[in-house]
Amino acid sequence: MRPEIQEYNFDWMLHKSMHIAFDSLKGSKKEYKYMLNYMPYFKGLMDLLGKYDEPGILFVELVKDAVDEIVFAHDQGKKICMTTFCLSPIVLLAMDVVPVVMEPLTVLPTILWKRGTYDFMNYCFEVGLSETSCSSQRGALGAYLAGLCEPIDFVVFDSGGVCDTNANVFAFSSSYLNKPLFQLDYPASFLDQKTKEYQRQDFRELVSFLETQTGKKLELDQLRKGLEETHRQDLIISQIDELQMLKPNPLPPIFNLFMYAGRFLATSKPGYTKLLESMLNTVQKNADQGKSGLQSGKEKCRALFCYIDHYSSDARMWNFLDDHGISHLGSILSRFFPDHAPYLLDDDINSGYHIQLDSLDDMIDSLAEINARSPMVKSIRGPYDTPYMWLEDALAFARLYQADCIVYSGTPGCRNTWGMVKPFARDTEKHGFPTHIMYSDAFDERVESFETTSLRLAEFFRVRQLI
Amino acid sequence: MIMKGFDMMSFIKQAAFDLHNDSIKQWKENNQPVVGYTCSQVPVELFYAGGILPVRLRGVGIQGFDIADAYYGPFICSFPKAILQSMAEKKLTHLDGAVIADGCDSMRRLDECWRRASDDYSHMNLPFFHYMNIPRKVSNHAKEWYIYEIQKLQSTLNTHFDTNITQESIQKAIQTYNNSRKLIEKIESLRKSNPPEISGSDAFCVSLAAESMPPEAFQKQTADLLENLSTQSTDIPDGPRILISGSAYDDIHLIQTIESAGANVVGENVCFGPSHRMHSVSENLPPFEALMAQYLLACPCPRMFGRFDHRLALLKEKIQDVQAKGIVFQNIRFCDLHASENGLLERELEKEGIPCIRLEREYGSQTDTGRLRMRIDAFLERIS
Repeated sequence: MRPEIQEYNFDWMLHKSMHIAFDSLKGSKKEYKYMLNYMPYFKGLMDLLGKYDEPGILFVELVKDAVDEIVFAHDQGKKICMTTFCLSPIVLLAMDVVPVVMEPLTVLPTILWKRGTYDFMNYCFEVGLSETSCSSQRGALGAYLAGLCEPIDFVVFDSGGVCDTNANVFAFSSSYLNKPLFQLDYPASFLDQKTKEYQRQDFRELVSFLETQTGKKLELDQLRKGLEETHRQDLIISQIDELQMLKPNPLPPIFNLFMYAGRFLATSKPGYTKLLESMLNTVQKNADQGKSGLQSGKEKCRALFCYIDHYSSDARMWNFLDDHGISHLGSILSRFFPDHAPYLLDDDINSGYHIQLDSLDDMIDSLAEINARSPMVKSIRGPYDTPYMWLEDALAFARLYQADCIVYSGTPGCRNTWGMVKPFARDTEKHGFPTHIMYSDAFDERVESFETTSLRLAEFFRVRQLI
Repeated sequence: MIMKGFDMMSFIKQAAFDLHNDSIKQWKENNQPVVGYTCSQVPVELFYAGGILPVRLRGVGIQGFDIADAYYGPFICSFPKAILQSMAEKKLTHLDGAVIADGCDSMRRLDECWRRASDDYSHMNLPFFHYMNIPRKVSNHAKEWYIYEIQKLQSTLNTHFDTNITQESIQKAIQTYNNSRKLIEKIESLRKSNPPEISGSDAFCVSLAAESMPPEAFQKQTADLLENLSTQSTDIPDGPRILISGSAYDDIHLIQTIESAGANVVGENVCFGPSHRMHSVSENLPPFEALMAQYLLACPCPRMFGRFDHRLALLKEKIQDVQAKGIVFQNIRFCDLHASENGLLERELEKEGIPCIRLEREYGSQTDTGRLRMRIDAFLERIS
């Protein structure tokens, strides 16, 4: 790693960036416009956030607070847990543990900083991590491995049986940093009793691990509070999900990011509830006026992102969608499967989780059920074309949300989806959905520049006569 | 017929590298089924207990991936791609079925790619196809799950092949395969002397043959080979003692490249051969428990997350045992589990003064021997 990069702590730089972004957005319109002159490289992102006033500001505030928590965790006597986006943080937050979620922490500087996270990504290889491993963690991970962050206390991940490259990163980090490790392991099956029992037992072991690491017991009241707040959030998400089915889709494309990034960082926290309420307000207003959430107000095409989004610098992906009149119908990251989710009405999707609050035991069961439906954990744990897995979910979403096409965006590090995305795309095409496979890296533009990615996307939309 | 050492080795090499070798042909002539499996965590004893010959699925001899690439994406390990290609090229037509285990993500997706390829190539459509789900951790419920999986496999094998796999027949199969393991152990012991009494490539061929032929036939050939070797003088020169570790490895080209550079390969820590097979399965425990202990608890693959210390200890033990002076860590490109583990192991071993080198390669015959040879030469200079 270049010596000058090592002069500054990664989390502190992020903390500063988020405070500047937040202060700028909170300023008067005149102050904000003036400030944009000093942000040549992420003007597009700031503008994108600024366009939506309250939801944009609340989102930045939520992220700012999450980064603050990390930076000041040890000062406040809290433990820090390195973890992954597909682990629901409810149990960590209920035990006063600060989650350091690798993927959002990679996305943030990727879209915020001109140089992205390349130095940190490369540092992972310097210390022995495979150079073909997933880029979604590496951006932040390099900084943690280099000791440029508030040190973590332990590692928890839940991608065993779900995604090797994800799981491998956390196992590697635990060994490299010599920190305790816990993994939730998932069978390939999903709804049968045996699988549920396995998940229940595994989650109880996670709770014991956390109790050992924190020296505290999981408290009934704190967990209940967290789950009640999660339930409130789920109800709002369900309302947004339902409105997203309308034609035109009243949801601005960037709101998908707000929804899942907030979920990964702050499920069960009141700040996330506030953000969701504000988002719902905007979406509902658009729906009442029969307006699309796109800036132009005109929806030309509805695209379902069957995997993840693309996090180019300056958030150009969302601006690309906006500019071309393409509605974003969500991705694998933005669906969480509570039992009241509107998409569960479709026969092709299984029943969702139900939050029970009667006893501590019930609540832990609920956590296990929530986690078993986390992005990736639910739909790519087994063969893609078996019941409840990726193909069934994607086709059901595509039908329910009246998608005109399906877009795959991922990373070359994703052994799991690259192992079957070609047959998957063949199947979705057979069902009548034009499908585009993006060969770029969602977190690393060195693999394919966004200019090339966007040209190929534009070509797909044009050639398939979608716009 | 009495075969000389050289002929015996030829027979073993044919068994090791011909996917449809003479022993398998002979087995099939008796109308006995053959089932392919993908992972060293699949218990071979279970098949054999039902009169089914288990053979490890491999893709040796493949020259390209034109068919496999139509199903797999580009960022995938070439090992499962080679299996798919072999199947598509009709090199595995002797199979009556296949068991795909979720050893790693690239390998588990062989299940879907194979099934989809069967739509286009009817000969790939095997009458028996089973997906085996193996936990990636060791816990009480993981142990239960593994036993549940082998019970499921037992039941489907019984139904499909109209056989009767019983506790007794599994126990007998355990004893049979343990006999093979003991012979491999004897072969391995020949590598411990300095210089070794058998070359690394010949010793590894024996281990590969064990996974590609009926155990009784293997035992006969190997016993004869051992007897013959004991009466022969070897002309293996003294050289640096090297251990190979890392990704699945089932050919001898890398070993030959190292040996032709003047070193002796004295052991392998890869998922073909002794590291995964040599330790005997317990004959005292109930059969399912014994299989679980061997194939789940003792598994040295980095797919078992959180067990790095266990694997490091095993590797150190092996290094000590074979008196290795240098370690060649190799990984197939896109094998993230081994590539990353190699990085960690290298760090730990170098700290203790054990020289290591990390090489990345593709599965199968080396297409870049020159590059590897240059790096190996430089490495040997370091440790000589």
